[in-house]
Amino acid sequence: MQDSVQDNLPLNAAMAAREVVTAKKKGEAIALVLITHGPFDTLGGRVAIKRSKDGELEKIGSFQDDNLNNQAMELAKEALKSPHTQRKTSHGLTVTSGQIYKLFVEAHHPSPELTIVGAGHIAQPLCSITAMLGFNVTVIDDREEFVTIKRFPEADRLMEVDFTKPFKDIVIGQNSYIVLVTRGHKYDFECLRFLLRSTIEPSYIGMIGSRRRIRAAFIQLINDQLDPDRIARIRAPLGLDIGSETPAEIAISVAAELVLLSRKGDGVPLSQKENIFNRFFKEE
Amino acid sequence: MEETENQNLYQAILEKTNKGRTVAVATIIATKGSVPRKIGAKMLVDPGYDLVGTVGGGCGEGEVIAVAHQVIESGNPQIVHVDLTEDILSLSPAVCGGTMEVFVEAVVRS
Repeated sequence: MQDSVQDNLPLNAAMAAREVVTAKKKGEAIALVLITHGPFDTLGGRVAIKRSKDGELEKIGSFQDDNLNNQAMELAKEALKSPHTQRKTSHGLTVTSGQIYKLFVEAHHPSPELTIVGAGHIAQPLCSITAMLGFNVTVIDDREEFVTIKRFPEADRLMEVDFTKPFKDIVIGQNSYIVLVTRGHKYDFECLRFLLRSTIEPSYIGMIGSRRRIRAAFIQLINDQLDPDRIARIRAPLGLDIGSETPAEIAISVAAELVLLSRKGDGVPLSQKENIFNRFFKEE
Repeated sequence: MEETENQNLYQAILEKTNKGRTVAVATIIATKGSVPRKIGAKMLVDPGYDLVGTVGGGCGEGEVIAVAHQVIESGNPQIVHVDLTEDILSLSPAVCGGTMEVFVEAVVRS
């Protein structure tokens, strides 16, 4: 037996968990607002504010006080704004009854969608690592025998595609990351041009290749009169320079770039940045 | 991408409570200084069976687990103030130099 959610009452933790799991399945963003300080019988009560794919906000459950509900809505709106996880505790709020409350908000955004184009040597370790990082991973190739569960046990989707229309069954949005690592540069290029011609720009396009090949690709894209700003945002060659040589090392370098962009890091070794020995222990 | 980690934790809450178990969930709601996990990190405590997720490991976590047991017993949520500032030179992995507030609540099937 499960209690149903009542619109005029707060959610308990189990109800809230159910809402988060459901929202994740539907690809919706959701914020939970929790009472952490307040009158004893209100502690642990929650409301959920869900944002559907078309941007509509829906409140699930309710606190017993309008000021609290309004404050919860404000916190949730703020937390849902950025795809980077937003969590915070409000300062003490005094509401009409003279009670002091504190609210805690946490937002859950849908998992980022990574499409690895090309199911070769780099794709295998890259699929494992990015799945571990929390991406929903799709691997596509035009060779059926390469897109197998045995090769990609952690992939969410495996598809055999025609590289002339590679993204036919893939929805590309602002939550999409695309890595072009096919067996041939011409396929990478065709996929890249397809992406630049589409009106929606994904969060990330990375393409493998030598300087010469990438230059040639950019010349072609410019000749095709594609948007230079978008060309400039292509990450090619993809990955961070960590001296990678093997497929696993290249996969780490690409995965590191994805984390760096999503967390707004800068790729500088922390020891160098903090420079603790030289700053604090070196005699002048 | 602790996002996924927390979503898996919510999945674990559902699975546990659907089996009829009463568990405790600890959430870091505020931090100060250097702490091992960020605000929002969660841990599920299923006494005698299982721990899912982490709020930082080491001494601080032991304190949280002890409170989780009390909370399951009483049904009343509690806030634990974890202090990791003592003895920064002890080289213990539990010493990070900061403090955090952890909200601990019991969760039963709804």
